[in-house]
Amino acid sequence: MEVERYPKNPMHPINPGSEDPAVEEIREELLARGSVPTRLTKEETDRRRMENEHVLKQQPHSLGYYSWRRMRRNKLAMAGLVITIVLIVVAVLAPVLAPFDPNLQVLEYSTMPVGFHGNVLLTKSEVNPNLTIPIPIAEYRIQGDRVIYTTEEGFDKSIPVARLAGNSEQEWHKTPTYYLGTDRFGRDVLSRLMFGARVSLTVAFFAEMCSLLIGVLLGSLAGFYRGWVDDGLMWFTNVVWSIPSLLLIIAISIALGLGMWQTIFAIGITEWVDMARIVRGQFFSLRETEYVEATKALGLSNKRTIFRHILPNSLGPIIVIATAGFANAIIYEASLSFLGLGVQPPTSTWGQMIHDGYGFIAAGSNWGLTIFPALAIMIAVFAFNLFGDGLRDAFDPKLKR
Amino acid sequence: MLSFTVRRLFYSLLVIFGVVTVVFFIMNLLPDPARMMQGQRADLATQAAIRHQLGLDLPPWQRYVRFIGDVAQGNLGRSWSSNRPVLTSIWERFGATATLAISAMAIATILGIGIGILTAVRSYTFIDNISMLFALVGISIPAFVMGLLAMLIFGAWLDWLPVSGYMWEGGDLHIEYLILPMLVLALRPVSIIARVTRSSMLETLSSDYVRTAKAKGVSWRSIVYRHALRNALNPVVTTVSAWLAGLLVGTYFIEYIFNWPGIGLQAVDAITRSDFPIIQGTVIFSAVIFVVVNFIVDILYARLDPRVKLV
Repeated sequence: MEVERYPKNPMHPINPGSEDPAVEEIREELLARGSVPTRLTKEETDRRRMENEHVLKQQPHSLGYYSWRRMRRNKLAMAGLVITIVLIVVAVLAPVLAPFDPNLQVLEYSTMPVGFHGNVLLTKSEVNPNLTIPIPIAEYRIQGDRVIYTTEEGFDKSIPVARLAGNSEQEWHKTPTYYLGTDRFGRDVLSRLMFGARVSLTVAFFAEMCSLLIGVLLGSLAGFYRGWVDDGLMWFTNVVWSIPSLLLIIAISIALGLGMWQTIFAIGITEWVDMARIVRGQFFSLRETEYVEATKALGLSNKRTIFRHILPNSLGPIIVIATAGFANAIIYEASLSFLGLGVQPPTSTWGQMIHDGYGFIAAGSNWGLTIFPALAIMIAVFAFNLFGDGLRDAFDPKLKR
Repeated sequence: MLSFTVRRLFYSLLVIFGVVTVVFFIMNLLPDPARMMQGQRADLATQAAIRHQLGLDLPPWQRYVRFIGDVAQGNLGRSWSSNRPVLTSIWERFGATATLAISAMAIATILGIGIGILTAVRSYTFIDNISMLFALVGISIPAFVMGLLAMLIFGAWLDWLPVSGYMWEGGDLHIEYLILPMLVLALRPVSIIARVTRSSMLETLSSDYVRTAKAKGVSWRSIVYRHALRNALNPVVTTVSAWLAGLLVGTYFIEYIFNWPGIGLQAVDAITRSDFPIIQGTVIFSAVIFVVVNFIVDILYARLDPRVKLV
């Protein structure tokens, strides 16, 4: 059954029943060639519509969706993301994953090489029964209720079995492996690296959140209100920009006293300059767009315009700058702890490990103490930069390959 | 042009004024200098005398005015450890820092622009990918880590170059002392300049005037160097000048690690000795140098590039 939707154009060859014989002739000729489209019946139209309903219902995807699709094709960026996730997992699970207590000192095992095997008896601490203290030995034998052991220096000593930690021989005699060797105080380098990742990532994360907040706030104010607000804020931005970042961070952290939160605060209130500039630039260009003009016509409040319309549309550049800022914050944290001004011992940090180890370099020995934390910093920053570069390419359609 | 110069000059002074204010504010948060100088056992009379001498017994706003006045006259106070004027100590050591910074930036500029052009012309080929990956590695290595690695490899293992010391030793020039710190210092700027040059070149190479030049039959060489590069240099100049200013005011870790007697090493030493006047002086001095370099670059820009609007 044919359904009339539009008045028929009698002259068009698709419509049969034209009174003009010339048109009829053309129509027949076209039909013979099979090139006349036939009008669809209502059933057919509805069937096709049902078939493609999911397409019609589809919403256009967000910028994030398309960016993620572009991002997934970028192998390097994905490698960066994977390394970053692994680092975060290691940092969070450090107490579970680390083979040793990062602050456990076994002075006999000072500066041991990579892959060194220890040989220790675990004894209960006299002060705290939950604590076990390892005693390095060369060899041991059980004699009655005492264990007689030879120390590394070759002295024979004995200890009652009751004082050893654990009930069986397997529990109190261990030969632990120090995969990356030990430092000057006989602490396990691998465990310290794992715990150092916690400090690095925590400081970098909170510092970046801090500078993100300051940068976005000042940038939006300057970009939205312009005029004297912009002049004043940009003057302040230029002032902070003119002071060497590292010196400013150092001065602030000395002024506040040394510690983790002071480090976070010092880095955070120094590193917002790029963010403020980018956000301001975004506001300058987005303010001219039609949809922002429409918010004015609709009488929306400035707050709503800023938070619901302009900021979400500047999210791409903000995320990109924040990722780069995160990588920089890791570098600053490491630099501060290298100078002994960051998170204080005994908490292990990568910068501090390098500082403790680099004295050996001139002597040409124990290079692992410098190289491993250095590699950790490099890998972390590199992974973040790879990821950040990938994000930049993904958010910027102009750079599409 | 003149009014532009005057306005920029005034703005630069305003920024320096802001820096001095920020420094005053931070230094006021520090622990009491009189106690820090004398230690915990200093008697109260001595502490009071020191406070009076430093003007710490005045109300904050009076101290602030005094501080601004002192800085304006070039008086940055005296070092707590050597009791010499801070500005004199900084000025004496600035030569060493400037030598290192300028030589590193010269290398970084030449190499960076070269790599940038090469990778832009051969974009998305193997050589481009590998160069950009290396540039990213260069950006990812903190200065002190790179310094230590270079020391370890070229100093301790290969034993090619000396790892510690200044090139003017006893009146003679030992250029080999400069090489390692200079190269390490250049690494990061090389990476960044190469990246900036590349992306800027890619933009100009895809522009209409380059297509027109191709259509006219201009040689490829001429297109790259005379049409694309010249127009692409704008952000590159900004990057180079920002880095030159940045390196002039502080190559703290490189100087510290290679024992290069510049203002950076002096600042790090001052930090370990809690010699706050030196730190404070270095911050102000650095900011002034930074602002001056940027001022000069702004003026040069406005003169050389007709596209720059005089705001």
